[in-house]
Amino acid sequence: MKSNRHWYKRMSFIILAALLVLSACSGKKEEKASGDAKDTNGALSIMWWGPQERHDATLKALDIYSKQNPDVKFKPEYLAWDGFWSKLPTLAASKSMPDILQMDAAYLDEYVSRGTLEDLSDIDLNGIIDPKILDNLKKDGKLYGIPLSHNGQGLAFNKSELEAAGIQLPQKDWTWDDFFKFAEDAHKKLPKGKFPVTDNSADWTWYQYYQTSMGKGPILEGNKFNLDKDMWMEFNKIYEKYRKEGVVPPPDVQTAFLENDPKADPMGSGKVMTRGASVGSVSVLETLLPGKVDVVNVPTGPAGGGWAQPTIFLSVSSNSKHKAEAKQFIKWFISDKEAGKALGLTRGIPLSDEIYKELEPTLQPKDILSKKLEEAAIDKALPFYPAPAGWSEWVQAYDKEMQAVMYGQQSLKDAFTKLDDLGKETAKKLEGK
Amino acid sequence: MKRLYSKASVDMSNIPLQQGQADLEIHTSNPSLKSRLFQRLTKKRSDETNLAGYIFISPWLIGFLLLTLWPMVQSFYLSFTEYSLLDEPVWVGSENYSNIFLKDDLFYKSLSVTFAFVIISVPLKLFFSLMVAMLLNKNLKGMSFYRTAIYFPSLIGTSVAVAVLWRNMFGADGYVNQILGWFGIEGVGWISNPDTSLGTLILLTTWQFGSTMVIFLAGLKQIPTDLYESASVDGAGAIKKFFHITLPMLSPVMFFNLVLGVIGSFQMFTQAFIITKGGPVNSTYTYALFLFEKAFKHYQMGYASSLAWILLVIIAILTGINFAVSRYWVFYESDGRGSK
Amino acid sequence: MSISRSKLSKMTNHAFLLIFSLVMLYPVFWWIGASLKKNEEMSLATIWPKVPMWENFTKGWVANTEYTFTHFFTNTLVMEFWNVIGAVFTSAVVAYGFARLNFKFKGLWFSILLLTMMLPSQVTIIPQYIMYNTFGLTNSYIPLVLPHFFGGGAFFIFLLVQFIRGIPRELDEAAKMDGASVYVIFFKIILPLLKPSLVTVAIFTFIWSWDDFFGQVLYLSSIDKYTVGLALKMFVDQFEVQWGQLLAMSLVSIVPSALLFFFAQKHFLEGIATSGLKG
Repeated sequence: MKSNRHWYKRMSFIILAALLVLSACSGKKEEKASGDAKDTNGALSIMWWGPQERHDATLKALDIYSKQNPDVKFKPEYLAWDGFWSKLPTLAASKSMPDILQMDAAYLDEYVSRGTLEDLSDIDLNGIIDPKILDNLKKDGKLYGIPLSHNGQGLAFNKSELEAAGIQLPQKDWTWDDFFKFAEDAHKKLPKGKFPVTDNSADWTWYQYYQTSMGKGPILEGNKFNLDKDMWMEFNKIYEKYRKEGVVPPPDVQTAFLENDPKADPMGSGKVMTRGASVGSVSVLETLLPGKVDVVNVPTGPAGGGWAQPTIFLSVSSNSKHKAEAKQFIKWFISDKEAGKALGLTRGIPLSDEIYKELEPTLQPKDILSKKLEEAAIDKALPFYPAPAGWSEWVQAYDKEMQAVMYGQQSLKDAFTKLDDLGKETAKKLEGK
Repeated sequence: MKRLYSKASVDMSNIPLQQGQADLEIHTSNPSLKSRLFQRLTKKRSDETNLAGYIFISPWLIGFLLLTLWPMVQSFYLSFTEYSLLDEPVWVGSENYSNIFLKDDLFYKSLSVTFAFVIISVPLKLFFSLMVAMLLNKNLKGMSFYRTAIYFPSLIGTSVAVAVLWRNMFGADGYVNQILGWFGIEGVGWISNPDTSLGTLILLTTWQFGSTMVIFLAGLKQIPTDLYESASVDGAGAIKKFFHITLPMLSPVMFFNLVLGVIGSFQMFTQAFIITKGGPVNSTYTYALFLFEKAFKHYQMGYASSLAWILLVIIAILTGINFAVSRYWVFYESDGRGSK
Repeated sequence: MSISRSKLSKMTNHAFLLIFSLVMLYPVFWWIGASLKKNEEMSLATIWPKVPMWENFTKGWVANTEYTFTHFFTNTLVMEFWNVIGAVFTSAVVAYGFARLNFKFKGLWFSILLLTMMLPSQVTIIPQYIMYNTFGLTNSYIPLVLPHFFGGGAFFIFLLVQFIRGIPRELDEAAKMDGASVYVIFFKIILPLLKPSLVTVAIFTFIWSWDDFFGQVLYLSSIDKYTVGLALKMFVDQFEVQWGQLLAMSLVSIVPSALLFFFAQKHFLEGIATSGLKG
């Protein structure tokens, strides 16, 4: 009798003691945490992704704001890109999205279409941001994110190596015919193992640039699906020819590419002379190939080419309890001179011309390259058509089916049929919602 | 083995029953008394062990009821809904399940990729782990160093660096190809070739056999050395010793590694996620990766939950088979060996 | 004659082990070299950089303007301490219940125990998070540490069950003869014999919870709570990766686990030299 209870008591005591000590230990940390989670005294929660420089710069800016507005405190959270997009849906599911969050154009529609973001069109941005830019970003007249910097799509190329091989460099506003001619000429002059262009067959956006520049409109827009069969076949047959002739890297080389990786980047590794790049990301190429990189816009057609508009935003979550304060902060964030100085170019080229002028003297070669791309992209730019909400699986199917074509496992015709069918099916499903 | 207890011949009728009474053989000549005593003993004993049993497993039981049960029930419920995470779940009944079985090619593809992975990597890993464990079981100087060195790859497990490492090893101009080049063999891009990419992941898993090996090692260390000694005295060679002593004594641990190996490899996710992202042409698109992308990339947590429960059923069936078959080859020291 | 044969076999064993270790470690040598390289050099096929950038380690250690890796290591080691304590204490207790005692519904509970390992965690993460969030336990270590106090995880319980079943029942029965209750048997007989397996549990708990990225990312929001794993991810961004620092600090982050393994070996691999039946 006794011995039984004795051991029982001892065991439960041990477990209890452990739990007590545990909670005491994290109790201190917990206090801070629970305080924050339930506080309603004006602390704004704000979440963003980025590299270390951006974190440091943003924290500095938050400090400045708190000094200027002493009753506003922040609860910042900053993550790397992957972690951010894993955590945000979790926060959304538990109804605890931060008050202010950084947003990306590729994800914006998914979050907007489910009502998680607040309409910000009532913020007065006159004189700060060009109204044309804002109009481009509005969906049904509502603005769900305040843009933070310029972005645009173009092509980067290895100027030094092209010149050394005696190849004519791509010129601004070049056409698709120019592009294909460039590829074929360069192929003749480049040594074996080096390629003029990458094989973008599995990248739906690359073909979409072609289709839109020819005036046939985007593939995906809202719930609509439009894949022009003849144009698509014509375009992809060219790449099929290029694969046979070795103008583009073979599939196992192409799929091993990893953009921005020092060893596996198509240009960075020295294998390919050109690749697509955006204003936001081309600076990395400069660090990989210092002094060798130059930029040009996406090949154009009669309707234009490429795109140039902001893709990084600050948004407010629709179940925030501090919407007014959040909006006020965001307006300050993009217009205040001190903030601009503190933030520098950590989010790209600022939209406010005033702030940009102040930062111009501090530009490094990689920033100059970004600016050059922005200027090249803007003239002939068409609207930016990211995959709208609900199309992510079609995009993934495009990648997979075209990879099968690249590896010779499937014919172009079969791939087209599959993608066309899936596209129409998805459009119908989305339409019915 | 010596018998350490003695049989007692005792008249039970006057001995008060206490809890924790030792196993006594009941020798009385009165059959009905014997059975009544036996019933009293066993009932008291089973009450006691019932309570004791629950007390012992209470940490797990409480944790399960508190922390695990609810999320599992929730995920089962979600498998009957459409749930984007960004807004409320919407009930759709068994639509997810029927779509999975009738319309989803990727389901079958990822299942076949995963089955291939399991069938090859589990035996491979078990074999290597056991061999290496036996190698490391000796008492050489510097064994600690060797063991740590061989275990080291398992430590880098799922870090970002593994992806870099593996690409550098098996990429088209990676080290493996360089070494092959010395022998005049031209290597391919192992990771970016649909025919070989799964193989590189199998190799990665096998390279990280450390934990399985350590468990074998612990098991090996628990085999009493005098068994080997007496076998040597009887003139048994190394191979006989292996098959008649090592393997049977290791069978509980082998069983454990097999069961866990199957359960774990069916859920292989991280390596595919960080190295190949499921490609090329879905040749490394494991089931867990498929599930993850459905949930977090395509905003279909409901569908992903259905996939999860289907996987659970598959694994449960295979594990059940494992357990059923185990009685034919797994030998527990504690089950009725009695005296030698 | 027999002396030199055993010496020869010892030498061959050493040679074999050495070569094997080197082969296993070869990628790691590359790793060490790469961690000292500049970003531009990363694409070269060399193992060792031209000029070793030791500052990848020093700069990497400093990491953040607010916190250095000292802080992150401390955070992680404290968490690990509690994880290990929880797992070691409770896993043996639970395993004994399943392995040695008979109670109603034991089969059912054991099956459930195994079942919990078969459901991919990706689908229980969200409901779990919502649960912890309701109790205000997010942005704390509790969701990460608490599960270890409830048996340490099905893996370890099952592992110990198998080890306990390898212990002869004669020992239990001898103790019962002497009037020992199941509790005494557990503490005085089984537990001491489980020492090697418990050290295994400790080591694996340490190593595996170090790497639990998803859990850490979800439950730790403020940077002052970050673990080493989370801090490492700060080196990887949308476009640019600071490879040298990432590789350097990744390497450093493995050192504690490696050291633990190296030094703990003695304890859990100490064999049972006798048959274990000490009167």
